[in-house]
Amino acid sequence: MKRYKKWLIGLGILLLAGAAVIYYLFTLKYDDTATVKADYTVDAINFIKEFKQDMAAANKKYSEKIIVVNGTVSAIEMADTTANIKMIDTTNGAYIIFAFQQQHLGEAKTIKEGEQVSIKGSCSNGAFSSILEAEYITFKRCAVNK
Amino acid sequence: MKKTILSLAMVLAAGVLFAQKKTTTSAVINFDATTPIDALPKAENKTVIASLDTKSGTVAFEAAIKSFTFSNPKIQEHFNNKGWMDSDQFATATFKGSITNLKSVKFNKDGTYPVDITGDLTMHGITKTIDAKGFITVRGKLIVANSEFTVKLEDYKVNGGAIAAGKVSKEPTIKVVAEFN
Repeated sequence: MKRYKKWLIGLGILLLAGAAVIYYLFTLKYDDTATVKADYTVDAINFIKEFKQDMAAANKKYSEKIIVVNGTVSAIEMADTTANIKMIDTTNGAYIIFAFQQQHLGEAKTIKEGEQVSIKGSCSNGAFSSILEAEYITFKRCAVNK
Repeated sequence: MKKTILSLAMVLAAGVLFAQKKTTTSAVINFDATTPIDALPKAENKTVIASLDTKSGTVAFEAAIKSFTFSNPKIQEHFNNKGWMDSDQFATATFKGSITNLKSVKFNKDGTYPVDITGDLTMHGITKTIDAKGFITVRGKLIVANSEFTVKLEDYKVNGGAIAAGKVSKEPTIKVVAEFN
């Protein structure tokens, strides 16, 4: 009987631990980007140049990393659910685009064209657009870097 | 001489004002692969490049796979890994097609017009022809294009364990919204 009880207690502990792990995985959320330490800090135009020079190497280095980008706002694209900030290299049309984290969307809407800003976000990757015939680099979960 | 310059400037201005190919870099794609047993596999990509040619009716979009944002980091990791979209190898999803009933859309008159779209959707390195319904809304200079359709993941050889286990829909819904100014 004692041995049976021990097995039951052991099984109960295992089930509880399993449930805790599943709960943890299912409720996991991204941290607020504003509070995450950046892996790199870069200048927008030099960053674009790095991607243009060797897209594969730049993607390997920066993809899914948290990066602070300093540069001049070229355009703000307002749409129904988003306000994306763009920094464009006017010599070739290549650009960086930043989509903001939901809690920081309000910050994006206050930024003006021509303003010098510092934006922190998760770099998705760089690619060549056959629609625009230009290179582009996308960022997600962004926040104004303060 | 002055007249020539003025005429040239007017022609150029007209070309800009009435440009037929419109583009945006902030189209939005929502991806919903939720099932009754898992509400997590849904994502949004807000930096999709899209184009619409109002004369020929051609439409296109390019979406970076890594730009799809999930609320849960683990699901995002699964989505990008080899069992799912393998985004390191197949970095973008693209669509190139056309509106087949373009004559029913009046781009110079405010309104919402139902459209039929057909074209090639490429993702995970595989191209398939798809048909979709959508709407074009004209409000002054603003044109909003939207469409909603489903894709069979097995057609694109996306068949991870979570799909077989019923945690991810075999036929996710894709919703595309593009605003052209």
